[in-house]
Amino acid sequence: MEQSSLEATVDKVLVQKWIAEIGSDAPAAVPLLQAVQNEYGYLPREAMNIIVSETDISASQLFGVATFYSQFRLDPVGRFIIKVCHGTACHVSGADRINTALRQSLGIKDEKEDTARNGSYTIEDVACIGCCSLAPVMLIGDETFGNLKGADAQRSLKKHARQHGEFLPGHEEKRSEADAPEKKSPGKKKKEML
Amino acid sequence: MSAQPSTPVTIIVGEGTCGIAAGAKDVFETFRDMAPETEIKTVGCVGMCHEEVMVEIFDDEGGSYLYGKVDKKSIPAILKFHRGEGALPGDHLIRSSVQPDGAEYLTRQTRIALRNVGRLDPKSLEEYRERGGYRSIEKILTDGISPEEVIGEIKTAGLRGRGGAGFPTAVKWSFARSAKGDEKYLICNGDEGDPGAFMDRSLLEGDPHSVLEGMLIAAYAIGASFGYAYIRAEYPLAVEHFGKAIQDARIAGFLGKNILGHAFDFDVKIKQGAGAFVCGEETALIASVEGNRGMPRIRPPFPAVRGLFGKPTIINNVETLANLAWIIEKGGAAYAGIGTGESKGTKVFALAGTIKRGGLVEVPMGMTIREVLYDIGGGPSTGRPIKAVQLGGPSGGCIPESLFDTPIEYEALNATGAIMGSGGMVVMDTRSCMVDIARYFLEFTQIESCGKCTFCRIGTLRMKELLTRICGGEGTMDDIDMLENVAHQVKSSSLCGLGQTAPNPVLTTLKYFRDEYVAHVEEKRCPAGVCKGLITHTIMKDRCTGCSICDRYCPVDAITGVVKQPGSWVIDQELCINCGMCVEVCNFDAIRVQ
Repeated sequence: MEQSSLEATVDKVLVQKWIAEIGSDAPAAVPLLQAVQNEYGYLPREAMNIIVSETDISASQLFGVATFYSQFRLDPVGRFIIKVCHGTACHVSGADRINTALRQSLGIKDEKEDTARNGSYTIEDVACIGCCSLAPVMLIGDETFGNLKGADAQRSLKKHARQHGEFLPGHEEKRSEADAPEKKSPGKKKKEML
Repeated sequence: MSAQPSTPVTIIVGEGTCGIAAGAKDVFETFRDMAPETEIKTVGCVGMCHEEVMVEIFDDEGGSYLYGKVDKKSIPAILKFHRGEGALPGDHLIRSSVQPDGAEYLTRQTRIALRNVGRLDPKSLEEYRERGGYRSIEKILTDGISPEEVIGEIKTAGLRGRGGAGFPTAVKWSFARSAKGDEKYLICNGDEGDPGAFMDRSLLEGDPHSVLEGMLIAAYAIGASFGYAYIRAEYPLAVEHFGKAIQDARIAGFLGKNILGHAFDFDVKIKQGAGAFVCGEETALIASVEGNRGMPRIRPPFPAVRGLFGKPTIINNVETLANLAWIIEKGGAAYAGIGTGESKGTKVFALAGTIKRGGLVEVPMGMTIREVLYDIGGGPSTGRPIKAVQLGGPSGGCIPESLFDTPIEYEALNATGAIMGSGGMVVMDTRSCMVDIARYFLEFTQIESCGKCTFCRIGTLRMKELLTRICGGEGTMDDIDMLENVAHQVKSSSLCGLGQTAPNPVLTTLKYFRDEYVAHVEEKRCPAGVCKGLITHTIMKDRCTGCSICDRYCPVDAITGVVKQPGSWVIDQELCINCGMCVEVCNFDAIRVQ
């Protein structure tokens, strides 16, 4: 599946409504972009163009702001966003491993990519969500999961997927037992000896 | 102790972000289902994050019981006890009015800024009023206390900015007070960007009205009639609670025109930050509120003279503001009675990392780091000794165990090379690599550097590259010298606080843990076993049972063998990425990390 299929269809009337509510002067740039991203999960080019043509905000200011702040993203996202906290406490308690484990579950192999091929989940690293005592922490949608190990993160993701009717690519064929790891061999995956 | 409780009348569930993350919503609903006759309320975060979910139960004779680590399963036992049908659920009891001790975590603290957090429903203006809220601004307005007198009281208190730099609040205010112009602004800085600090979140979530009252007092003192609360968008609950507080205060007449019938106008609008560490810097924050890229500019002119939209502007940190109502009510002298010579009052710290009792702690200035870590925090959580504590986040530094008797004072902490900072205190044991920590922070500051000045833009990148090389085992002794050299240059020549402090994590780790750098370079060894380029994972044949769980979790399929044949399992070092998943899932400690 191509990533471009995740592109959102922008509702012009909706964007105009935000402009009417929030304003069309320079200080409105950040809140307008936040409104767009809240709706679409990212900043679709089309919505940016509408803002530029219908407000006093110049294209350079709007794109300057959009690329400056870490909250904003210009690429489409999956249906759910997983935010993996990389604050100091999470870093020292193994946040990197959460990423590795989640990428494994989602079958994201290319380092430059962050979204599962089927458009289900996007993994995003965030600076600190302020739950340092529960480190390492991640958010799937609005739900927070704390005190994670790599395997816990996979389990939580799997549960979330089941509840929301999503598939975990790469997980389907051979790793379905990751949900409830048993010491006993599943017997279905023997490898040759070296 | 076996004193029987009487009928529970109120059950309070802590629903801060961390409480919710630990399952507070479930607990709340279970109590509602199982004890429909009892009043159930929610409060903000108590700050004992290690005990979440926390529940406090009051009975009809004024007794109170504080429980920690409550989940659905433990609720029946707790309710049984309170209905006189079962034994005290001792595992969950932290403290009760019948058994008041055993809660050093709270008793060693002095709670001024956090005085109401976890004690009231943050969405209720009435509860804040019941606890003495808005009395200070009322006193100022009805007694006709002049702005100069308010500034004088804060000066007596010796309050210094709690956001990091520690500039005296009264001095800052008097600049804005005497600045010409009829339009002035007050900004509440809630852009808590230090990864590892969360007191601003807790205050805005747990006691928004005290921050709002602080804004009223500050606005009155400097003569501002409009304010912005700049809150990180990553803190949705804080935005929600503070927004509710503004609405309710407006209805109650504490915001708007002619507040409480006096000639004082003030209103507040929330601006959600969009994620930029540099926006903690005043001029960058102003640029951000104005709708631009958050890039700092040269000072002077200082914002107190020329700030937001070109008008005199005061920016105060959330914690600073939360202290103000207390100071006005009890007097500046009472506040100055706490603390030491140049550092008065209290400071809130976010205690996290390898510590037994993590959470928010507010301590009087002058307490030593050791007291905070061991008396309040309960020592290490891992059984391994604490090696260092990181203070002040990306702008701060790592303080080694040998300096744990340093008192918490602005000047004393600066002398170690770290800073007080906003109050992040991350505890690290012997499994944390100090070179990796320095690399982690430089990676952070390099991304967050706005790019305006060369020293910060290029300097942080060069430092990050050198550190990455050293962590990867490719560093030389010259690299260490170069790193130190660049660090000093970036520190002395950057435009704003971000660049000037970015080298601190490097300089402090070089100062106190140079041997770890040398081990990475000369012996190609990471003493803590963290740096991926310098460690290997191997299977110990004598411990392996051949269960194959490591194989199932290995993300790169580097582990092979035959099930139930322990001797057959090996990790292909060519494929292994040293992620540590196998160590985590192995039930027999059969993976060796070297």
